[in-house]
Amino acid sequence: MIEVKNLKKKYDQISALNGISFKVTENEIFGLLGPNGAGKSTTINILSTILKPDDGEVEINRYNLKSKPIACKKSMGIVPQEISLYDELSAIENLLFWGSLYDIKPSIIKEKTNSLLKLFGLWERRNDKIKSYSGGMKRRINIASALLHSPKVLLMDEPTVGIDPQSRNLIFEVTEKLNKEGLTIIYTTHYMEEAERLCNRIGIIDHGKIIAQGTVDELRKISKTTENLTIKIFETTEDKILKLKNTLVQKFAIEDNILIFFDDKAISDLPNIIVKMNESGLKISNIEIKKANLETVFLNLTGKKLRN
Amino acid sequence: MIKIYKKDIKLFFSDKKAVLLTFLLPIVLITLFALAYGGMENSDRESKPILLPVCNLEDSDIAKTIIADLDSVKGLKMEIMKLEDARQKVIRGKRAAILIFHQGFEDSLNLGKTLPIELQYDQAREMEIGILQSVLISKLMGNIGKSGIQKKVNNYILDKYPDIQPEVLNTIMDDLENDFSGNENSKNENNFQTGMALKTTSLVGEKQESALGLIQAVAGTAIMMLLFSVAGLGAGLIEEKEAGTLKKLLYSPVNPSYILYGKMMTGLTVSILQLLIMFLFAFFAFGLNISIDIPSLILMILATAFACSSFGIFLASVSNSRQQVQSLSTIIILIMSAIGGSMMPLFIMPEIIKIAVVSVNYWGIQGFYDIFWRQLPFTTVLIKAGILFGIGLLMTIISVQLFRKNVLKLV
Repeated sequence: MIEVKNLKKKYDQISALNGISFKVTENEIFGLLGPNGAGKSTTINILSTILKPDDGEVEINRYNLKSKPIACKKSMGIVPQEISLYDELSAIENLLFWGSLYDIKPSIIKEKTNSLLKLFGLWERRNDKIKSYSGGMKRRINIASALLHSPKVLLMDEPTVGIDPQSRNLIFEVTEKLNKEGLTIIYTTHYMEEAERLCNRIGIIDHGKIIAQGTVDELRKISKTTENLTIKIFETTEDKILKLKNTLVQKFAIEDNILIFFDDKAISDLPNIIVKMNESGLKISNIEIKKANLETVFLNLTGKKLRN
Repeated sequence: MIKIYKKDIKLFFSDKKAVLLTFLLPIVLITLFALAYGGMENSDRESKPILLPVCNLEDSDIAKTIIADLDSVKGLKMEIMKLEDARQKVIRGKRAAILIFHQGFEDSLNLGKTLPIELQYDQAREMEIGILQSVLISKLMGNIGKSGIQKKVNNYILDKYPDIQPEVLNTIMDDLENDFSGNENSKNENNFQTGMALKTTSLVGEKQESALGLIQAVAGTAIMMLLFSVAGLGAGLIEEKEAGTLKKLLYSPVNPSYILYGKMMTGLTVSILQLLIMFLFAFFAFGLNISIDIPSLILMILATAFACSSFGIFLASVSNSRQQVQSLSTIIILIMSAIGGSMMPLFIMPEIIKIAVVSVNYWGIQGFYDIFWRQLPFTTVLIKAGILFGIGLLMTIISVQLFRKNVLKLV
């Protein structure tokens, strides 16, 4: 459905994309994860046709992006990160306008607008101006406006930023429903739990490259992080942590007085870790072994947290 | 394009305060300028005359005649008062000047000597004084100058030829009078006595029913305000950028140039409406005869609106931020309005006309002058309208090229 091959893009002398390649099959939700500056937005901008790549090929719904940009645009719906709506128009006016840009019969757009307003739970507020909507409601209309032309592919760029849990759940439910109905989705997010819940496969992007891609289990295997050792300590200082880092082979991160070890080998080496911690003056409060989540997989693969 | 246009029009009219200001502000300014330029002189109301205190220190009959003559000038009202009272009025800023007829005025006139007549004035009101001087000089020259020369000639002949027969002298003086009046057949006794025979002939505006000041106020102000209104198109595009809707428009299969054309059509609609309202207001409030030449008026409204809206999209295509739109629009509009005659009529600064031709305001104002003041035929108006369409077309082509080049930088 979507094939990205060796995509490259430079801004002046800085490389934003260093040959990104990935495939998204039909009816799949593909998550694109990456910290700020990793090349995620550049990839999205190229896919959405507003940025031209220096090199590489993109195929969307069997259309080549370079030679058939309009066909690509027509088969794609894009949900931008920012809420892109006209505040002074009502929800129904906004949707009718955005739908009208796709050369579809007005009666079909009207019908689609009505069904989307119902799907997103905003039918009762359809005649209210967007400026009177809450952030979550605006997000829902923002997504609805990308679905009016019944696209085959939906590009969702951080669609749940800054919204209430109720709206977030509704967006999850609608995304899952649309996917079940046959929509192929590329989903970018900073929230690991969203990616874990929604995405069939995930591509981790860093320094303009896809460093790993697959299902969450496949990513665990790639990062050799099936289980995580976490050790809670009473109190700490930078000196003590630095001393421990210098004496231990295993990589770890620290968050709220909890040391998180990424590598599975850390579990078998636990006695040695305890000795080294005592030598560094760190007092242990609790030790846990958990199944690795996407956050720790990401941390192990990139060496940094997703939300810095 | 039509869809973008419809959306922009809907957005424009959804902001009631902005709509009100778009149409109300030019009306207020037109009213102020019309009053300032004396544009109401053809309406039912009378304009206020300039009050000029006059002190006849000699109290001679000839001075009284001249004062009465000056008082008959339209727009000038002579106030006879004591010198000290008149001076106080000037010092306190109540009046601009005093005209003083000093002692010996009649004798000096009879002897052909320099006349003891003086205009004392407030230097701060030089512009008003300039107008007063020109009126006074033309009337006094017509009156005193001719009488003085006639007296001099009369005295000279009597001095050189004391035995001259009175009939011969009268014939010579009659011939002289005819020479002064410029008409051999004119032997109007009254002309000779009062010296009021000041013949004025205007080559332009003899037929017109509308005041020049009013046309200047309506056309000049309307075009300037139109430019400010369409500058909002540039700001509108920046607003779309900030709201993220420009990016979303570019995601759609719409040709990017159509975004600009849609905005231009909105500008064109608002401009046409604004000009129509301005002229209707001038008709109802000041009696401007807008039915003089309706086809020419419609043509000029369309041409001016097109040129102005192309300026709006030009701003939209070259600016990347609100600050750029604001600064650029203010500078360009003020310069175009100043050199194009929107702020001040070009007949009082003729040397500017050489550079005024680059201004939309100039061609717009001149076109409206052709219709209302000069009452020239449609073909003449067509030339000015053609130039405006040409300017508009050129600006549109440049704007579209720039927009295509820069639009992706905007998002």
